[in-house]
Amino acid sequence: MPLHDTSYQHWDGVHLGLWRRRWAIAWTGLTAALRNKWIQHLVALCWCGGLAMIALLFFVGQLLVADSIIVQWVGNLNPQLQDFARMLTAWLEQHPEVSVRTTQDVLFYFFGVFLMPLSIFVLGMALPQFITRDLASNAIIIYSSKAVSRGDYLLGKLAAAFGLLVLTWLGPVCTAWFVGNLLAPDWRFFWHARVPLCHALVFGLSSMCVLSALVLGVSAISTKEKSTISLWYTWWILGGVVVPIAAHTQPWLRHLSFNFNLDQIALAVFRLGDDLKIAQDNVPILGPMLSNIRPDKMAALTSPAIGGALVALLLMTGLAAVVVGKRVKPE
Amino acid sequence: MSALWVVPNIRLNMATAPVIETQALTKVFGAQRALDGVNLTVAPGAIGLLGPNGAGKSTFMKCLLQLQPITSGSAKLLGREVGREGREIRKRVGYTPEQDCHIPGMAGCEYVTYCAQLCGLPFQAARQRAHEMLDFVGMGQERYRKADTYSTGMRQRLKLAQAIVHDPEIVFLDEPTNGLDPKGQAQILELVQSLWKVYGITVVVSSHLLQDVEKICEQIIIIARGRVLVHDTLENLKARKRGAAEVVMSARHLDLQAACARRSWPCEVLTNGHLKIEHKAESLNPLLTVLHELKLVPLEIIPSPNALEETFVQALEISHAAA
Repeated sequence: MPLHDTSYQHWDGVHLGLWRRRWAIAWTGLTAALRNKWIQHLVALCWCGGLAMIALLFFVGQLLVADSIIVQWVGNLNPQLQDFARMLTAWLEQHPEVSVRTTQDVLFYFFGVFLMPLSIFVLGMALPQFITRDLASNAIIIYSSKAVSRGDYLLGKLAAAFGLLVLTWLGPVCTAWFVGNLLAPDWRFFWHARVPLCHALVFGLSSMCVLSALVLGVSAISTKEKSTISLWYTWWILGGVVVPIAAHTQPWLRHLSFNFNLDQIALAVFRLGDDLKIAQDNVPILGPMLSNIRPDKMAALTSPAIGGALVALLLMTGLAAVVVGKRVKPE
Repeated sequence: MSALWVVPNIRLNMATAPVIETQALTKVFGAQRALDGVNLTVAPGAIGLLGPNGAGKSTFMKCLLQLQPITSGSAKLLGREVGREGREIRKRVGYTPEQDCHIPGMAGCEYVTYCAQLCGLPFQAARQRAHEMLDFVGMGQERYRKADTYSTGMRQRLKLAQAIVHDPEIVFLDEPTNGLDPKGQAQILELVQSLWKVYGITVVVSSHLLQDVEKICEQIIIIARGRVLVHDTLENLKARKRGAAEVVMSARHLDLQAACARRSWPCEVLTNGHLKIEHKAESLNPLLTVLHELKLVPLEIIPSPNALEETFVQALEISHAAA
């Protein structure tokens, strides 16, 4: 016999609003994904990348300090590297507004490019948590019988995927920017680095929105976890294989790869070609290094296929929305 | 002694307004009419939705909960128009589907807490209520185990707990005793019965088992082929009899048939040899009088079934004929 009262009790509290219910869906989806140990390790790896970025920004900042131990250390390593460091220092001192922006633009571009595949990989691992399992277990019926609509459910799931990307992508980027500039020798670094942050945010947020939508679409395709995971990774890997082959034959085929399209958006947002040119003009030692880049590669950096990429991503997102709309129904 | 001091936890201001109102409610799946112009006005209580498999019971529930779009007609649940105020209606409604519907990887208590949050309860309150409801449905420490590992009985209890965790005004239970052993069935039915009798929550139980519905419901709706055959109180249905009986005779059939003809009682010989006599009275007394007068001793007298049984059999026959 139970020691406490097990009778039914009525509840007369105040019901929370719709956004709190959506938040509950998002939070539950996110925490369910984070229970996977591999995902935990990969998220940790992303944050290690963030730490490395902080160290790099600290390193660049220290170049401005004349008697910095880092300048001496660089000099001991390699005289050519010391020349490079001196020129960078001179540039940083003369035109901090341009140099800080350009340097951090380049660094944050590469940081974004490093985090993107990791994030895509993490999304693939967490993919069944979003819709696949709910479809397989009929949990969709339970959602539909509660005080949330199909739109609320999808918004919550989208937020869960987005939240995961915040942990693997936007979180490390923003933290690296903030702490890296906090450790810089001059407070003005924050101001000078505002444009790289904006670029990183624009690229990060747009990519995260697209990836979240795509992952929901793939997650809704089947009720079998293995099928949806395989589909996601196959699409990603095949896209990577197709891009170099299609570049010389049918360039439009490259847009079948969401990864390629996101790369093009990154290049368009960060304007890496312009940054490299500014750096080349101001740090002469970079001239010979950059002249080694093949003209076609340089052209790809300076004029990304942004139109095609935007159209392709729009179509992919639309297709994902159609799949989700068709599949996510109570019956 | 202590029972004298127990105040039943009954919902105050128990409304008597209809909880379900439908007007020509129709649902069509391709060429099949799952619901065919259902007109109903149902008062609060313990309501049994009875009918054979495929009769349209689940579709009726799903249309009311907006899990299925209505093809034509209209419906009101708790006084609100179905299809317009979905979230508001579902905030006040609980539902246990027929099939399993837990979220994989979640423990029982997590699942019920989450369901409460989906209905707008703050997390702390949701967690507390989840444990209260799991206590109420009789789940012990197994609530901390993943729901994937539960037996059928535990899953039924879990489904009931998630349906009532947000304190709904009406609960729809689709085949709540499916897959349960007799003891489990009795326990679940007892819990369901208490929801209305003790706590004032309207319960709509869908079942193809007459005895389940008979045990706990006060109102009965019998559906076959998407149509409502009958909607009345259990009491009325049981009291309503057609005034007929089957008489099993070993000899002298003709004497009895002649006596019936003199009294203008329709009498027919069934294929099994029994005589079916419509004596048109609520009790068997007139028939017994005739038998006594003729000095006939029948082997058996089978009174006609009450309207509940008869309509249910009729529903089964309609269903079989359609199949």
